[in-house]
Amino acid sequence: MTTTTLHQTTTNRSSFARVPAAFRLQFAVPWSFIWLPIGIFLLAWVLGTGIGFLIDSQMPERIPVEEPLSSMGAAQAPIWYLAFMAAYTASHTFPFSVALSYSRRVYLIGTYLTFAVVSVGYGLLAMFGFWIERLTDGFGRHIYVLGAPFLDDVGGMLGVGAFGTVVTLFFMCFGFFWAILYRRVSIPILWTVILGFIVVLLGLVAITTLNEWWPNVGLWFVDQTAFTLAGWGLLATVLLGGLNYWLIRKATVS
Amino acid sequence: MTTPDTAQRVRAIEAHGVTRRYKDTIALDNVTLNFEKDKIHGLLGRNGAGKTTMMSVMTAQDWPSEGQIRVFGQTPHENEQVLPDICFVREDQRYPEDALAKHAFAAARDAFENWDAEFEQRLIEDFRVPLKTPIKKMSRGQKSAVGVIIGLASRAPLTVFDEPYMGLDAVARQLFYDRLLQDFTEHPRTIVVSSHLIDEISYLLEHVVVIDQGKILVDETADDLRDQAVTLVGAAEAVQQVVAGREVLDREELGRIVRVTVLGKLTDDELRLVKQLDLDVLPVSLQQLIVHLTRNNTEEHPSSEGF
Repeated sequence: MTTTTLHQTTTNRSSFARVPAAFRLQFAVPWSFIWLPIGIFLLAWVLGTGIGFLIDSQMPERIPVEEPLSSMGAAQAPIWYLAFMAAYTASHTFPFSVALSYSRRVYLIGTYLTFAVVSVGYGLLAMFGFWIERLTDGFGRHIYVLGAPFLDDVGGMLGVGAFGTVVTLFFMCFGFFWAILYRRVSIPILWTVILGFIVVLLGLVAITTLNEWWPNVGLWFVDQTAFTLAGWGLLATVLLGGLNYWLIRKATVS
Repeated sequence: MTTPDTAQRVRAIEAHGVTRRYKDTIALDNVTLNFEKDKIHGLLGRNGAGKTTMMSVMTAQDWPSEGQIRVFGQTPHENEQVLPDICFVREDQRYPEDALAKHAFAAARDAFENWDAEFEQRLIEDFRVPLKTPIKKMSRGQKSAVGVIIGLASRAPLTVFDEPYMGLDAVARQLFYDRLLQDFTEHPRTIVVSSHLIDEISYLLEHVVVIDQGKILVDETADDLRDQAVTLVGAAEAVQQVVAGREVLDREELGRIVRVTVLGKLTDDELRLVKQLDLDVLPVSLQQLIVHLTRNNTEEHPSSEGF
């Protein structure tokens, strides 16, 4: 019988050498972050457009080119799914990454790269949808899910891509945040944070209402383009991303 | 005396004054312990004794509240220099949502540089792991097999198995012990196994650590531990002549015949006396000895639960 000495690196390894492997780990189950979101996107688009055609059939008087039908709600569906999948990666894939001995830092970098790639993918799909809808004049009846005409004033196709990417990225980090917080802190603290979050939101609404700032808020939004909104979203995402790193550093898996 | 350099060469894990606290519970209490490289170590103890916490701390899945832990000479927490050399699949391991076994194996193949894909295939066949069932829907034994395969095929220089037999039937357990020993012989590495089934794994172990209520009760080579006690069987008076003054670990009476387990080796004089008195000398099984030692410790600190 032969005895082989196992390979054990004694020279310095790069602290980030396994980032590509940690990135691939997120795609170990290929339908989670690739096929299902694409399927949901297409299904939501088809359903949104179908509902548009249903409404169209009930409005015989409508002149499509003058009264386009825009229903953008369906575009959110993949974002909700991806926020939940991001939470699942914190609750399920993170413990597995620990078993595979990735440092929490390497795992998180791989995870953020995944979120970034998936978000850009969503942005590109949204741009593709925008392009198709414009090319076909809203499938011949000016029915829009992704390419509503008013979007031209706030950034057009590129604006849809930028905003869609950042919103997806933010909500993936947001979903991840709650699941990793659950791993890091006890249930009473988790509830305190949830209630605190709601209280802060309600407090902001109350202050805005009491000071009659709603028109200003409205004007602020009117002044924004898809690109400036994407910039603010990116800032919030970076802050949330930093918070996630602080949480995962000492999150346990037992 | 061992110099720090030599220590680093021969020691895989060094724990110095390690305490792990969870709120009011002390899971590890001032543990100082070394695990030598390229040996199979047994980490034994009762439920809640601190075995899993010790394993988590030594693999950087958790960290000490106080004290120091070093793996291959380095602090492992968040240390990518040493983490790629460690594999610890927990007994209640979680896998990515909806993952099949092949997904988990592919991810592990990507993570460990010594991974042996051929060995992985053989183990999948040996353990009859279903490849089309999501891991979360597998039976307990099938889930354990997935963890065992990752641990074995990773060939990580430090591989840790936490009660790997859970849900495995007798055939699969023996298969695990056989494959582990065979592969260890061909590819020596540091292996730590925790178990309740002490006699089943005792032949694998070179070093035994018994932990109880967060403290180290035994830290010996398996041979030294076996030599620590002896069981004598024979007439009560005759046995009493030999064991008088020794610490009795266990005593069972069957009429006039007694079976007494005492601490310590028999001296040559005592062996001659044993022969004259026609007593039987039996080796103590590791399980018996550890149960005795743990039971003694429980009597001193009666708060712990049963094996």
